[in-house]
Amino acid sequence: MAMGTPLAAHHGDAAYSDKPNEMKGCVVTEFDWMNPHSLIKFDYKTAAGEVEHWTMEIGSPPSMTLLGWSRTTLRAGDVITAYVYQAKSGVKVGRTNKVILADGTVLADRDDSTPSRYGAEPPK
Amino acid sequence: MAVAVALVVSSAVIAQAPPSQARQAKSPWVYYPLDTISGDGGPAPKRDLSGTWAGPGSTDAIPRGAAAERPSLTPLGQQVLSQRKPIGRYGPAGTNDPTARFCDPLGFPLNFIYQNRAMSVSTMPNRVVFLLQFGGFWREVWTDGRALPTKVGGDDRDSLDPTYMGYSVGHWEDDYNFVIDTTGLDERTWLLRDGTPHSVMAHVQERWTRVDHNTMKVAMTIDDPKMFTKPFSLGTYYYRWVPNQKINEWLCVPSETLKYLQEQGDPAGSYPNGEPQRLGGGGRGR
Repeated sequence: MAMGTPLAAHHGDAAYSDKPNEMKGCVVTEFDWMNPHSLIKFDYKTAAGEVEHWTMEIGSPPSMTLLGWSRTTLRAGDVITAYVYQAKSGVKVGRTNKVILADGTVLADRDDSTPSRYGAEPPK
Repeated sequence: MAVAVALVVSSAVIAQAPPSQARQAKSPWVYYPLDTISGDGGPAPKRDLSGTWAGPGSTDAIPRGAAAERPSLTPLGQQVLSQRKPIGRYGPAGTNDPTARFCDPLGFPLNFIYQNRAMSVSTMPNRVVFLLQFGGFWREVWTDGRALPTKVGGDDRDSLDPTYMGYSVGHWEDDYNFVIDTTGLDERTWLLRDGTPHSVMAHVQERWTRVDHNTMKVAMTIDDPKMFTKPFSLGTYYYRWVPNQKINEWLCVPSETLKYLQEQGDPAGSYPNGEPQRLGGGGRGR
């Protein structure tokens, strides 16, 4: 059995910071359950009172279903705590680390114990 | 005692199951990828791959097969590869992967190497048909004894058109091994996710083995002297029987991909020389 490197994932994540921002009190404005990656859009009010519009991605519906997400997980108006790896370019988009729903449910974007499936790619 | 242990184990499994699936009553219309089959289901039926199957990466219950060998490229193969920008390095913003940017079909054999998390196989009197979940594509393998075409994509009037799925013929080598030969593959498709190319007259051979009722596997090799100095293995992949025989729709929808690229992928930018890392995007094969 050959194991693949987890780095050979669907897409490289080099565009994103490797430390997630914690953002509390985010108000969901849109949840797009779609391929290739679902998008969560939300408004975040900074300490200075400014409202920022954010977009962050999670995986594809088949992947995220395995981790407990569904088309109805989020609705516009839901208040969440978002942990986001922001794009290095500084724009307000990011990859999701995890989301905490108002009822305390924690939904992650991946399961650390799960190996990548891309073991069949040629070694680099 | 055994019962008590079983109850504890079963509660632990339920507690860890994702909430959306754990609390749902089961419907015959829904695919439950976490409902994986147990055991071998008895002996393999003879000369039959028919059924609906969970494939590589669908869950951890699918055995992991052998990885593809590293190809030895010809100068032409190296030249074509050098023009490709795989998503693993360039990200969605910088890649020129036609599937990632435009939802172009992965084509054969990549669609049996990558993202084939579920499929059905149907046996017809003169064909075996593979029905793929990802993209909703199908592929015909002719079993009526015809020979593979020898001219595809050439300038001659009788040369056939290259196709995304290629031209395939299959035969049962014995009751449990089905061998498929394929050629005539559209050169716009990438052989592997890293951009490794193939030529139209590449010859791919698959050996499908029905191991038992609930398990089958395929070993794939490619011979393509135009691109590679020698044949090599494209890997081995396992499939397991889906208990309720229902899988869900999973398409690459161009308008959704455009939205994703415009609102997320492209603004994030491309960092081909950045340190590779894996932050998220789903646990089991994104």
